[in-house]
Amino acid sequence: MLNFSCIGRSVLRRSFLHTGNVLRAEEAAANVSKLSKDQLKKREIRRLAQRKAAAKKSPSDHPLYMSIPMALRFLRAAEVGQPQTQQTITLTTAVVAERGVPALAGSVSFPKPLKEVKIAVFSGDEDQLKVAREKFNCHLVGGTEIIEKIKSGEIPVDFDKAFATPDIAPALTSQLARILGPRGVLPTVKKGTVATDVSRLVQDSMGSMPFRQRGNAISIAVGKSSFSDRQILENAIATHDAVKEALANQVSKKTSLLGKTTLSSTHGPGIVIDFA
Amino acid sequence: MSSVAKQLKYLNRISFTTKEAQILINPSKYAGIKLTFQAQNHNGHMGARKFWRQYLPTLQFYNPGLKIDVVRIDNKDTKRAGVPCILEIVSKEDKVLDQIDMKNKKDDTIMNDLLQRLDFEPIPEESLIKV
Repeated sequence: MLNFSCIGRSVLRRSFLHTGNVLRAEEAAANVSKLSKDQLKKREIRRLAQRKAAAKKSPSDHPLYMSIPMALRFLRAAEVGQPQTQQTITLTTAVVAERGVPALAGSVSFPKPLKEVKIAVFSGDEDQLKVAREKFNCHLVGGTEIIEKIKSGEIPVDFDKAFATPDIAPALTSQLARILGPRGVLPTVKKGTVATDVSRLVQDSMGSMPFRQRGNAISIAVGKSSFSDRQILENAIATHDAVKEALANQVSKKTSLLGKTTLSSTHGPGIVIDFA
Repeated sequence: MSSVAKQLKYLNRISFTTKEAQILINPSKYAGIKLTFQAQNHNGHMGARKFWRQYLPTLQFYNPGLKIDVVRIDNKDTKRAGVPCILEIVSKEDKVLDQIDMKNKKDDTIMNDLLQRLDFEPIPEESLIKV
């Protein structure tokens, strides 16, 4: 291919001397974007290998590596004077996965939650609704009547989790899938959020936050800068356990690798920490 | 932030290169400092903002227990000049010990003013942290 273009170029240069440069520039631009399928595949394999090699490096070799308490001291200094609500500390882990491996997902239950998790319970069974309302103090509880209200926009979708009983699940899927689906709060059997005994599900998920791999990383907010070091460390450890569990439960031939982990804050720098 | 070199520079600006603010403020005397100024630069509020960005991170880094509050008042009207631009030094008993007027002052002038009014010790060279 290259040879051909060279010949073409020399012919052009001979015939149209003054337009040669322009044409050559155009040709170069076309060459950059038009890699052959073979080349693209090779590039992908090369990049995956690079990312794998980077993931296997020890975090303490990185120039930005710090212990977590020291990292928090820097992050708190960087956040000084910002409004309290904007001082969220986030933990981000790179994930190296082969093509076609399903995204990592799971949920963390924090010893010190960042905010109350709002739970919605859908059921046609009055007893279950009563339990959800009284025992767990759920944010939104009801049957077909609230499905209608959510559909018409009367009730805003402001909950973080939703559970349902099997009798109401088909109605939810048919009517609210378009509203709840993109937010990830549609109860489905596959996700394990539909069961005959909702109260157990609610109990398990109290104070837990769902997380999901986006692109090549998992990012979870683990605290506010007003939290103590101990609280953030405990949350980070809980995150670590949850991510490892998600890795262990991954249904695939090749498990994903965890790469560089950074601790960052809303306005602060990203600092590499040891997360293995 | 992209490159590692840039990030190192930023981290070192907090912990190492900002020499004036590398002090340990007497924790038995003071509880915190409170800054009040305008969110916009006009009418002489630029220095206060620069002081916040330039010196406060280092001050917080070497005084983790010090409570630093920043209140920024939104005022887009350039003709309204009455917005306060002050730095208050707050004692343990929640009393204002001292007050600095930051209006029409540059950031380094404000830092010098603060150093003159505080009881502090400079951090010894060997315990400075360099990334």
